[in-house]
Order: sequence, then structure tokens, then C-alpha cells
Amino acid sequence: MHSDSLILRARQGDKNAQGKLVQLWYKRIYNFAYKFFQDHDLAMEVSQKTFISMCRNLEGLQDTARFKSWLYKIAVNYCREELRKRKASKAVPFEFVVNPEAENSPRWEGSSLRHENPERQFQQRELSDILQQALLMLSEEQREVVIMKEYEGLKFREIAEALNISENTVKSRMYYGLDGLKKILEQKNITKETIHYEL
Amino acid sequence: MSYRPNEADWMAYLYGELEGVERERMEKLLSESTEARMELENFRMLQKMLQTVEDKEVIAPPIVVDGSKERSLWSYPYAKTILSIAASIVLLMVVGRFTNTSISTDDTGLHISFGEPKQRASNAAEPLLTQAEVQQMINASLSQNNTVWESSLAENRQQIDASIRKSLASANPSRERLDALVQQVATASREQIQGYVVNLQNENMKMMQNYMQLTSTEQKDYMEDLLVDFSKYLQQQRNDDLRLLQTKITDVEQNNNLFKAETEQILTSLISNGTSNYQRAGVRN
Repeated sequence: MHSDSLILRARQGDKNAQGKLVQLWYKRIYNFAYKFFQDHDLAMEVSQKTFISMCRNLEGLQDTARFKSWLYKIAVNYCREELRKRKASKAVPFEFVVNPEAENSPRWEGSSLRHENPERQFQQRELSDILQQALLMLSEEQREVVIMKEYEGLKFREIAEALNISENTVKSRMYYGLDGLKKILEQKNITKETIHYEL
Repeated sequence: MSYRPNEADWMAYLYGELEGVERERMEKLLSESTEARMELENFRMLQKMLQTVEDKEVIAPPIVVDGSKERSLWSYPYAKTILSIAASIVLLMVVGRFTNTSISTDDTGLHISFGEPKQRASNAAEPLLTQAEVQQMINASLSQNNTVWESSLAENRQQIDASIRKSLASANPSRERLDALVQQVATASREQIQGYVVNLQNENMKMMQNYMQLTSTEQKDYMEDLLVDFSKYLQQQRNDDLRLLQTKITDVEQNNNLFKAETEQILTSLISNGTSNYQRAGVRN
């Protein structure tokens, strides 16, 4: 996704290199935060804070090989901060009240599902919504690990570095996270048998 | 079959991060155990399901970071505090220098002074007055006070005496006047007193008569006015009633006329209908 020389140049204060790093990683960090909160505004806020922090503190990064886990560490910290703020304010985001994935929304118009079989699109969209809600029902620690591993493709070692915990703890959280998801889906009657035709 | 993988092994194998002997053991277990294969299949199924959640497309906004890479010393919060304290101390020293401030302590306490220090140590050591002189000054002051006090006392006494004498002198004429009045009353005869009482009674009677006469006249006028007003009110009421009655009678007359006209109309139409029917019947016959 990036070369060490790009990180080195960015670390030396090269604005272009920093901008390129932002372009390269913005989607990943945004999607990580989005899956964590299911909220576009919060995901944007976390992403922006993460990259501002990245540009400011990049010179402090000793090992460029650890850039990925370092970046996710910043993102996770901002996610936790936002979560604390949200718990304190107990506000309900507008997206929870109005479903932004409604068929007439502009996002649906641009989605890749648009050109597929409508019934299949609907089923996959429904499954995707259920899975995202199920992710939100996991504990904060399990959710972080599941998203990092399943969607961001980090190695267990990298997740351990980002979260500052042992690899075994990461694997354990992942196991129980997946187990939790399985149980939540079973409660919603989504099992291997009921879903098989869709996948 | 003694190998039982823990959660970490399961996850490492599922995501292809289990290596070496552990991987071989896990594969062996999977080839031998249906339960293990089922569990792995469940996890893989869940993985597949999770992959249906797609990434959101997003455009990275421009990230604006403060251009100055080197942070000035002033930007550190502790540096601000230290520099503020240092600046305050320097300011105090400069002000002290210009105002010749000196701070010293001795047996008598802490002294802060401004300007040139004065020699006072030698003077402070010698007493200015002796004990006898101080005593003499106190005695002199006391005797002076006594003299002033005695003189003012005598003066006050004289003033009080004069005032008493004056008030006594002014009280004598009123007493004489009172005695004269008492004597005059005592000399008045019985007839004179009776005459005075009779006069007084007559005056009172006249006053009462006048008062009664006046009030009776006013009452009479008031009653007359009241009766006139009442009769006017009755007349008005009567006129209103008459007007109302007249209006009602007119209404009844109008209704009656209307009823009469309607009845006539109905009768006319009935008669004309009856005639035409009769004629038609006659034609048929």
C-alpha cells in the first residue's frame, strides 16, 4: 500500500508525501471508524483527527515497518475518545433515526449492487445491515479486534501492537467476538442453512 | 486425539497465521474430528457473511496541519509558566533597582524600605529623655489639666445659679394673675350665674330649631325630586310597554293577513284544479 521511502519522506516533513499517505490510508481509517460507530460524521471526525495527529507525530515514529499498527493505534484511541464522549452525552445520531441506506438515497444509486439482481441486492443489503448492527452489539474490545482483523486485514501481531496487548489476548478477543456474532445472528435466525442460498 | 486447540490456535489457523508443528497438529485434528471440521466450517461461514459488509466510498478531505514543524519554546505549556515566573522576578528586580528597595530583617522584624537608607542605629540606642524629665512632663500636664477643669467647673456652677434665679423671677407674675381670677369668680352673684345659664339654654334652643327646620326642608325637597323621578320612570315604562304591545299587535295583524292571503291562494288553486278535473271528466264522458 505504501513504500518505506514515502513514510520516510513524510517523516522528514515532506508535505506531498504526507498528503499521499493521507490519500492512501483515508478510506481504510474511515471504514474502520465507520464500522466501529455506524455513523458517518463520527467516522469522518475520527479520520480527520487521526491524520492530523499522524502528520504532527510522524517524526516520532522510529520503525517505519510499524506504520500501519501505529496509525490504527491513533485511530483506535480517537474512537475510544469519541465513544466516551458519546456515552457521556447519550445522544442518538440522526442516521439511527433515518435509514441512510434507503433505496432512494444517493449512496444506493452509486453502489455496486445497483446492477445486480434486485432480490439478491435486497437480501445482501439486509444481511449487511444485520451484520453491522450485530457488530455494534459486541463489546468495544471485541469490536475493535474483529474490525481490524476481518475488514482491515491486520495481522494479529499488528493488532496487538496497535492495542498494546498480547497476541494471545487479541486472538482470544477475536474468538469470542466471532462467537458472539454467531450467537447474535442465530438469535436473528440467520444461520448457515438460512443464509446459504444467498452467499 | 489428545490435542485440543485453544481459542488462539483456532483464530491463528482460521486466518492462516498458525505455523510449524501447531499447524500440522491442527490439520491432523481436522482430518480426524468431524466436530472440529464443523467448528471450522462455522467460522468460515461467518467470515463469508462478514465479507458482505462492503466498504463505504469516501473522499479524503484536505488535512491542514500547522506548517511550522519546529515548535517554539513558547508553545510548550510548562515553558510558558517558567518564563512567566522568570519575567515577574526580573520585573520585580528592575523595579527594586529603580526605587532603591531594600528588604532587611532584625530583632524588631522585617523591614521593606524605598530610597536611600538612613543612619538611625546610633540614635535608636540612646534614649531622648530621662525618666525624671518624663515624670516632670506628666506632672505638669496633670496640674494644667486640673486647673482647666476647676475653672470650667466654677464657671458652670455660676451659670446654673443664674439660670435658677431667672426662672424663679419669671414665675411670679402668672401666679398673681391666677389669684386675681379666683377672686373675681368668688365675688360673682348667684343671679348673674343663672342669667348666664339661661342665655346659654336659649342660644342652644335656637340653634336646634334652625337645624331641624333646615333638615326638614332639605328632606322635603329630596322626597319631591324622588317622586318626580319615579313618576317619570313609570311613564317611560308605560310608553315602552305600549310601544311593545303595538308592535306585537302589528305583527299579529301582518301574520293574519299573510295567512289569509295564503289560504286564499290555496283555495283558489284547489278550486281551479277541481274545475279542470271536472271539465276533463266531462270531456271523457
